[in-house]
Amino acid sequence: MAETYPHKEVIEKTSIYLPEVATLREKRPMTPFDTYFSFELRDHSLGHRPGQFAEISIPGIGEAPISVSSPPATDNRFEMVIRKVGTVTSAIHSLEVGEKVGVRGPYGTSFPMEALKGSSLLFICGGIGLVPARSAIKYALEHRDDYKNISILFGCKDPAQRLFVDELEQWKQRDDIVFYETVDTTDLSTYLEMSHMDLSYRGPVDEWKSKKWKDNVGVITTLFPKLDYVDPRETYAIVVGPPVMYKFAIMNLHDMELSDDHIILSLERRMKCGVGKCGHCQIEDIYVCQDGPVFYYNDISYIKGVI
Amino acid sequence: MELLKISKKNFLSFVDKKMSEKKSRIVGVIQKGSHFVFDDLQSSKDLRLDYDVTILPPKKYFQPQKEVMLKFAPKNVESYVAVNSYDPITIFGIHYYDLAAIYLMDRAFSDGDGDEHYIKKRENSLLIGSYPQKHFKQRFSRSVVKDQYYKVADLMLVDMGDEYVIEVVSEKGKNYLKGSQLKKNTYSLKQVEEAKTHIKDDQKLPVTVDIASEFLTRNYYHSVWKYFGDKCFSCGSCVFVCPTCYCFDVCEEIDLTLAAGQRIKVWDGCMLENFAVVADGHNFRRDRADRFKHRTFRKVKYLPDRYRYFGCVGCGRCADACTADIAGPNKVFKYILEKQ
Repeated sequence: MAETYPHKEVIEKTSIYLPEVATLREKRPMTPFDTYFSFELRDHSLGHRPGQFAEISIPGIGEAPISVSSPPATDNRFEMVIRKVGTVTSAIHSLEVGEKVGVRGPYGTSFPMEALKGSSLLFICGGIGLVPARSAIKYALEHRDDYKNISILFGCKDPAQRLFVDELEQWKQRDDIVFYETVDTTDLSTYLEMSHMDLSYRGPVDEWKSKKWKDNVGVITTLFPKLDYVDPRETYAIVVGPPVMYKFAIMNLHDMELSDDHIILSLERRMKCGVGKCGHCQIEDIYVCQDGPVFYYNDISYIKGVI
Repeated sequence: MELLKISKKNFLSFVDKKMSEKKSRIVGVIQKGSHFVFDDLQSSKDLRLDYDVTILPPKKYFQPQKEVMLKFAPKNVESYVAVNSYDPITIFGIHYYDLAAIYLMDRAFSDGDGDEHYIKKRENSLLIGSYPQKHFKQRFSRSVVKDQYYKVADLMLVDMGDEYVIEVVSEKGKNYLKGSQLKKNTYSLKQVEEAKTHIKDDQKLPVTVDIASEFLTRNYYHSVWKYFGDKCFSCGSCVFVCPTCYCFDVCEEIDLTLAAGQRIKVWDGCMLENFAVVADGHNFRRDRADRFKHRTFRKVKYLPDRYRYFGCVGCGRCADACTADIAGPNKVFKYILEKQ
């Protein structure tokens, strides 16, 4: 009779796959699908830089890569805005304050905020692209004197899907930055069709049914003409949004004569391991989890299908 | 490199002795139906060093098809603990191209953030290689493998007829031979070289391995990708039998008792339809042609760019496993050359 192998099971103390424990400290719905979470690690800071992500897990459900939305912090807290799209994100949505999650990370490259010192910044954020971009926006606002002009363009599908609405309002009020926003449509009737769905939060849908949207309507590129002259030599664009947005945003930036090495993007792929092994996030020779998610466009523009 | 020799009879006694010592798990190539597989040896008599190719490469011992990484109690984040399962293992008869593949896996799992689950399994292994003694119609290893297999082999067996010449590659391999009835090698280097290479490959890569990457890059938009992509069933056979395919999925499972769970790595592959799907359902490699191209480029360009050596070792398993008869990377080169 053959012996069964292996018979030795050992504990690995330093596995790259082993999560740490974080406690949910604050939770608040933002849109029908997106919820804000503030997590706290036990005895140290996450130590992330703007634009990085972490793997969040719920034992028995699984793990998902999520962008960190807060700027680097000195305390043990970090913020995320998570869209309910799959089993893991649904499980995170159902957590109560005080419950715990597993955290691995931070992983990936970050927005080069140090290297951009002395330059003007143009943020172009579409939908939940605002979530990773916010870590860089808040960092830039905290270090306002390090940068020349700061402009932020934000677009989302409809008024009910706006994120961080209080902060958008503050940005609009500030006179040391430029902020414009738009929605693709003011039609909220699609939510009626979704009434069978378990929307996390109907608040903004109901709010915007009775309120009229007075700001810009149209895709995000309709905001570009509102900008004053953008000096292509001293401006860096930080672009984060859904796949469809990149192509058009980059066309517009090219029209403004920004070169590819002045365009910085954050790409979305399915980062399963986060450590450059599993192959899921690979685009050609690049592992998004390690070589990205933040790239200078000139480093990846040769790749077909990258955006 | 030190060369020793041993009679085949004494070699088999050596294997039996190692088995009876029970210091490590002893694996070798055995016959299974009309095919060959790597499996635990029951007796040295079962060892078939005259095999053509094994169904699966030995990667299964270092990256099992399903591997438990973490254990936990459901809903209890504090309970996550990383586990690893391995025994000291000795594997007899790994063809040199499969050793070259293990070298690539070693690089992939230890570069950057090292994967202890893989590294510990490898550290506890002793690899005894060999050179093919039988033709396999799909093999083209000679044209793609250089001498990188010596970087992972501990010993190499060279079949001289009634005897084996043993190439002692590592210190670990040398220690393993202690107490065996070895003699000094009496064959000339030329005779040994001839014995290592006398079985010629039936196939070859149609271009030299050093220009292969550049050649394919120039043909990035060639019709070959659609031509082969259209024939692909996306079954994934080619990636599962490949010795240099190590991509995996990460999943969680709960026991039927609901009292315990585990996070596992399972084999996955870029030829499967949903491999590059992201959260909102967008598939970055939706077309079969794109997946076929990605797999080929991974072998020919992306892995070599990272780890210097060609990412295909020419074992021919994918070509043999493929129902549509399109998987052998050499076929892509052939098609392009014919259409130029």
